[in-house]
Amino acid sequence: MKHESVETNAGLLIILTLAVISIGGLVEIVPLFYINDTIEEVEGVRPYTPLEQRGRDLYVREGCYTCHSQMVRPFRDEMLRYGHYSLAAESQYDHPFQWGSKRTGPDLARVGGKYSNEWQVQHLIQPKSLVPESIMPGYPWLAANRLDYSDIEQRMIALKRVGVPYSINQEEFAANVERFGEDVAMMLDINRAEENLIAQAQRENFDGDSTFISEMDAIVAYLQVLGTMVDFNEYSAGHFAEFR
Amino acid sequence: MSQTAATAGSVPASTAVPSEQYNYEIVKKFSIAAVIWGVLGMAAGVWIASQLAWPFLNFDIAQITFGRFRPVHTTLVIFGFGGNALFATSYYIIQRTCQTRLYSDRLSLFTFYGWNLALILGVFTYMAGITQGREYAEFNWQIDILIAITWIVYFWVFLMTLLRRSQPHIYVANWFFMAFILATALLHIFNNLQVPLSLTSPHSYSLFSGVQDAMTQWWYGHNAVGFFLTAAFLGMMYYFVPKQAGRPIYSYKLSIIHFWALVFLYMWVGAHHLHWTALPDWVSTLAATFSILLLLPSWGGMINGIMTLSGAWDKLRTDPIMLFLITALSFYGMSTFEGPMMSLKSVNALSHYTDWTVGHVHSGALGWVAMITFGSLYHLIPRLWNTKIYSLRLIYIHFFLATIGIVLYIVSMWVAGIGQGLMLRAFDEYGNLAYTFTESVVFLHKPYMVRAIGGGFFLLGMLIMAFNVAMTILTAKRTVPVADESRATAASAS
Amino acid sequence: MTELWSWITDLGNSKIIALLLFMGTFVAIVIYLFSSRRRSTRFESYRYIPLDDEDSPLDPNTGSGDRNKGERS
Repeated sequence: MKHESVETNAGLLIILTLAVISIGGLVEIVPLFYINDTIEEVEGVRPYTPLEQRGRDLYVREGCYTCHSQMVRPFRDEMLRYGHYSLAAESQYDHPFQWGSKRTGPDLARVGGKYSNEWQVQHLIQPKSLVPESIMPGYPWLAANRLDYSDIEQRMIALKRVGVPYSINQEEFAANVERFGEDVAMMLDINRAEENLIAQAQRENFDGDSTFISEMDAIVAYLQVLGTMVDFNEYSAGHFAEFR
Repeated sequence: MSQTAATAGSVPASTAVPSEQYNYEIVKKFSIAAVIWGVLGMAAGVWIASQLAWPFLNFDIAQITFGRFRPVHTTLVIFGFGGNALFATSYYIIQRTCQTRLYSDRLSLFTFYGWNLALILGVFTYMAGITQGREYAEFNWQIDILIAITWIVYFWVFLMTLLRRSQPHIYVANWFFMAFILATALLHIFNNLQVPLSLTSPHSYSLFSGVQDAMTQWWYGHNAVGFFLTAAFLGMMYYFVPKQAGRPIYSYKLSIIHFWALVFLYMWVGAHHLHWTALPDWVSTLAATFSILLLLPSWGGMINGIMTLSGAWDKLRTDPIMLFLITALSFYGMSTFEGPMMSLKSVNALSHYTDWTVGHVHSGALGWVAMITFGSLYHLIPRLWNTKIYSLRLIYIHFFLATIGIVLYIVSMWVAGIGQGLMLRAFDEYGNLAYTFTESVVFLHKPYMVRAIGGGFFLLGMLIMAFNVAMTILTAKRTVPVADESRATAASAS
Repeated sequence: MTELWSWITDLGNSKIIALLLFMGTFVAIVIYLFSSRRRSTRFESYRYIPLDDEDSPLDPNTGSGDRNKGERS
């Protein structure tokens, strides 16, 4: 084939260009869906509860990923500062992933449990009141806004469609009981979504105000679960290195 | 070779004026839109840069906090300023190098409204908190569909115009534009696979999760840089640099090698945004390797552009537009050297997550993309309105403001990025972390102020350009009689 | 033959295959471009396409642009 025919034939130019630009993406992305050790098998990683998922939606809405990463890298300083490096399995139910690309603020992959609920609430409302040097904006409206959970079932159904194992019928529920245990399986039941959401918000009362369920309840619920699902004491030190 | 060259000789407006033979209306529209979005997008940039330096500027107002406003900035400069400039120049270049009129006036007008409507909707939805949470692809799913349709129409107009050309050969600038259109379509569609809550809900969840989602996003993210911000602007370069210099491109064979190598290599390198993450090691190693290889075609292209001026270097002294174009190529060379270096895993361990990355992006975005666009628009606008530029002096001033702005920006981000990277990995003599994260934030304050000021210089230059362009157009409209006459002759000729 | 095929389809070898494909194509393009003098001249003649069509003679800014039209032979 002559190059001349490429330059003079628009169709051919298009086909060749398409072929050339497709190779890179195909080789790098497609195997990720098939290679088994892309995602490690670990105990404990479960889909988010309805309240945590709504918190995650707010995390996305406020654009937290523009300043915070959720990906601890396997370096000594990061292990000391944030904890065990992140595993692929830990974000397997994250639609979309929020690994981030910039740390204007610290990494949040393992922020769960590091601070009290009161600290998180106060910090979100007025970061400077706790960290005077902070350049983070305040998010007072999170505490003032009522959480909209009217579409929680729709949201869980959409997430189920993209592969998150929420259950809608008895069969799926039974499978979840086997996989995650009964308590977790109850939380993943779409039919009980609203009930579960309200119950968790009232039980744990993240924002310290029990008069209504605020957006603050949801986002703190999400922050407090980040990075806490896997118990790393159960695994030997070199275990996860095999998957890198 | 061409009838145009024969008819529109040195005698003014005898028969077909380019502005009648070609569809200049659509190019004018896109050019003006590019300038307007440029001013707004850069202003948004200065705003968010100032928020980082002086956080009180967030004012506790949800709609303008950094997290919601940053996508406004990136979208407006990349898709608003860059995108409209690309539409304008690609529609202009394809007509001039194929010596044929644009395929359809109506469809090309549709691309104008479709594209700019998507941008306007984007700004308001981001501020309302409707976002996909994917960098540079924050548009929600309905806007994504609008963009996809617009893009397909754009492809169709471009293709049909190519098929109508009166030149047997397709000039290399059009190859770059074609690759840009195809790649962007591919990237846009695959990175925006979403499942919406319902047909009426603006919200959706991404089809992929975790690792696969990250890989897809950065395959998109880096190729948005590669094809949107590089290949397409190279198309611009391959036309406007020779045109402004009045000399043909240095080597056509080099441009062919440049094209195929660049188009092939870029698609591999996205994963270098994910070094040391949970992504499998082999992918990021592969990406790093290809990133290094990418230096070769990048520099080949830069040399091709700069050497076009060989033997006519004095033009740099007399022609501010040439200054813009050549400086753009120099920054292109610089940032395509910096990029592969930062994709090395050892360097990336320090640079990733810091402001070094932000500085690198802006040396490409301000230095290469914006500078080549400024040069091209200054060349283009007087020709579109068949007039002289209002003030050459203001172009000089714009050039110097922009250059000072870029230097302040890049240097402050080097200091910020490398400084923070070193602080965060430092240990004291007992083996504990030497600095808290907060201490690094305190350190960043000064570089952030300098960066905001640098951005301010760049924005000021952009405002001067907007003024210069507006005055050029207004002056052209005041000298209507000449234009009228030529229009009348053209009308009677057709 | 089946062995070769299974080697090619093994995703673990994708890096080597990709490298070979790329190098092969690249070398082919370079050879194609520089192998014949006639082709070489033809290619270089395309450099003039942007300069072929005239702007309106009211030359906007610096007077550059279309001056070298006559350069083409």
